[in-house]
Amino acid sequence: MYLIGNISIYLGIVISLYGIIANIVGIKKKSSKWIESARGAVLSLAFVASIASFLLLYLLGTSQFQYKYVASYTNESLPIAYKLTAFWAGNAGSLLLWAVLLALYTAMVVFSKEKKNPMMPYVSSILMVNILFFFTVMALNANPFEMTDKIPADGKGLNPMLQNPGMILHPVTLYMGYVGLAVPFAFGIAALILKRMDSEWIKLTRRWTLLAWLFLTLGNVIGGWWAYLELGWGGYWAWDPVENASFLPWLTVSAFLHSVMIQERKNMLKTWNVSLIILSYILTLFGTFLVRSGILTSVHAFGDSNLGTYFLVFMAFMMLFSLYIVMTRYGLLKKDSSPIEAYFSKESSFLLNNMILVAAAFAVFWGTMYPLISETFTGTKVNVGAPYFDKVMAPILLVLIVLMGICPLIAWQKAVFEKFMKNTLWPLAMGVATAIILFAVGVKGIYAIIGLSATSFMFGTHLQEFARGIGARRKATKENVLKAAFKLTVKNQRRYGGYIVHIGIAVIAVGVISSHTYSTEVLKTVDAGNSIKTGDYSLKFNQLTEHTKNGNGIVVADIDVTYKGKDIGKIKPEKIFYETWPEPSTEVAIKTNWSQDLYVVLSSWENKDKVTFMVKVNPFVSWIWMGGIIMVIGTAFALIGGRPTTSRYQINKGISRVGG
Amino acid sequence: MNKKILLTTLLLLILIPGITTAFTYNSKEFKHIIGQLDMQGHADHELSTCSVKKIYYDEVVEMLNGGKSEPEIIQSYVDEYGQAALRTPGGGTSGWIAWGMPAAGVGIGSVIVGVWLRKLTAKKAESKLETKAEWNSEVEKEIAAKTFDEERRKLF
Repeated sequence: MYLIGNISIYLGIVISLYGIIANIVGIKKKSSKWIESARGAVLSLAFVASIASFLLLYLLGTSQFQYKYVASYTNESLPIAYKLTAFWAGNAGSLLLWAVLLALYTAMVVFSKEKKNPMMPYVSSILMVNILFFFTVMALNANPFEMTDKIPADGKGLNPMLQNPGMILHPVTLYMGYVGLAVPFAFGIAALILKRMDSEWIKLTRRWTLLAWLFLTLGNVIGGWWAYLELGWGGYWAWDPVENASFLPWLTVSAFLHSVMIQERKNMLKTWNVSLIILSYILTLFGTFLVRSGILTSVHAFGDSNLGTYFLVFMAFMMLFSLYIVMTRYGLLKKDSSPIEAYFSKESSFLLNNMILVAAAFAVFWGTMYPLISETFTGTKVNVGAPYFDKVMAPILLVLIVLMGICPLIAWQKAVFEKFMKNTLWPLAMGVATAIILFAVGVKGIYAIIGLSATSFMFGTHLQEFARGIGARRKATKENVLKAAFKLTVKNQRRYGGYIVHIGIAVIAVGVISSHTYSTEVLKTVDAGNSIKTGDYSLKFNQLTEHTKNGNGIVVADIDVTYKGKDIGKIKPEKIFYETWPEPSTEVAIKTNWSQDLYVVLSSWENKDKVTFMVKVNPFVSWIWMGGIIMVIGTAFALIGGRPTTSRYQINKGISRVGG
Repeated sequence: MNKKILLTTLLLLILIPGITTAFTYNSKEFKHIIGQLDMQGHADHELSTCSVKKIYYDEVVEMLNGGKSEPEIIQSYVDEYGQAALRTPGGGTSGWIAWGMPAAGVGIGSVIVGVWLRKLTAKKAESKLETKAEWNSEVEKEIAAKTFDEERRKLF
């Protein structure tokens, strides 16, 4: 086993090196034999990486504690699901996960229907440079198949916080997002090397980019949900450096997904688009660097790691290489781009949206790195915590929501202001009505009301867009509403998929604004038989019991809950004392309804009859998860359908040629 | 004399509840102060499992009950740990840079987009002048408009 594991890692290095060389020779000699051989290397890499991964899974699943990694992250009593997910609990395993995903993605790209595309040798070389890096780091510094000096009787076990279904999904989805961004990056660079300045690379990678964005969205939402359930502080997003690191590429890819539409239609923003995808890719490396360098304090960081230097060097290399390629092709990129017809057009609004998204990314980056910058340059140690990000990001995201309400109403090329105003009327009325209703029912907090009204306006715009589309279709085809709605969305999945994503964002915005502004918290000690009252809830503490499960001690509080005087059942917050972990773990009890969550943490106890609880009422938190699901549905909808629009520019160009 | 006793009793009645109302973890003042403290990186930890956070909570409650005001409590931590005691950058050059940079970023971004748009639309104006004579006649324009309409119709 030891041999197979290590051989597979070293083979990974050798094969990726060979693949790169074979591609270079093939390109130089214009030899299809060498290119074919490089393609074989990609397949071998996928095979070798899969062997290493299955082997690690087997070692984890069968508790082979002679392996350092297995002994460090699992123990005998750990449920099998968490034994297997310990694959990505540590540095070495997560690097292997990255490598195997990258190798599989590369094989999928290289053996796709575009395999004969001249860009492909370049794309596979760039992706293999990444694979080479990951295998090299594993071989030099983080080998998942390293043996222990002395075989321990039992392993150290998995951090209790990682023993949650979130552990199965959150890291994998985020990694799939990170790794997925390497594909459009490789295509973008390949197109530049080949001096192919059209938007072919965008067309070829549209689905890859969307898929990566989908996984990043999913990863972030699941991460928030996991934090909410597991960490016990009642929040879902702490603006932790590593959370920020996964949010950064999400923001820049969001900008990219909008700006590519302009390149597809107008053949402009070519430099901008290629820069955005390079930036997004570099940011994925930056995130990994943050987790592994230990330069910033984070709950996500791998504590005992010195891998940061490797990532810093690789990141710098990729950045310089990309910059060199862009700079040497800058003149070509600038050529043959169409101008914008008018200031007031969808093109301009997309530029503005890109500016806001990139500014948001800059603000997050700045806040994340500022403690380090401040200490290095001014010698002053400062913290940049959640309140900073809340204050800085709130206005930026508000502008973004307003823009999302305005952009769909602005026409391409040249919008007519009067028509725009006419189209804005209903959504605007919806926003104003929301504000009036909120004031009328006594909701406080002017900023929250502004945010909720803006969200309502944005939601109204999208509803109106659907209604208008259905109306136009019915007028032309005389179909019934359902058929017209179905055909309308299916005929233009890209556009309406995007609108569904926007609606998901509106739902999330309601959850974020409401839970942030109107959440209440009480920390109270009660005797058995007494109640805690908060908002419309009353919680009667009955008893504290103790039992063991899988060798772990569990303390459970039994509480009867009434809502507006009505019995809504029991909740049982817990504290689990793991044998293998010094700190107890909190298991939060949550009662959810459509408008709020009752969030109860068993905080501490003096004896069995006197217990302290933290009780929070978090309004609309479930909307965040619901919005996330809507976003994923919308993205998947746009992903499975959607005609690539590269042809539009060519068609337009063709028309103008014929016309001219 | 009676008046004095009555006045003293009244004063005591008013003041005693104020004096004896102790600040707790649920007090608004407490929450406001604790929300500003980084607690050596433990601010987002769960209270029941974080001993450092517990110490801070108890200290702040004690200081509040000891009669210290919010600025005094915050200052006492800043004196002890410097600006790192707080969750957000405070005053001074470092604070200004921290808060000002995102705004500067948005400002610079807006200027760049503005200049870019101007440049791009100016380019359009030039190309418009060059291609002004694209339509040879009104009939040709009408035919093109009809073709576009027909294409639009096909989309449905």
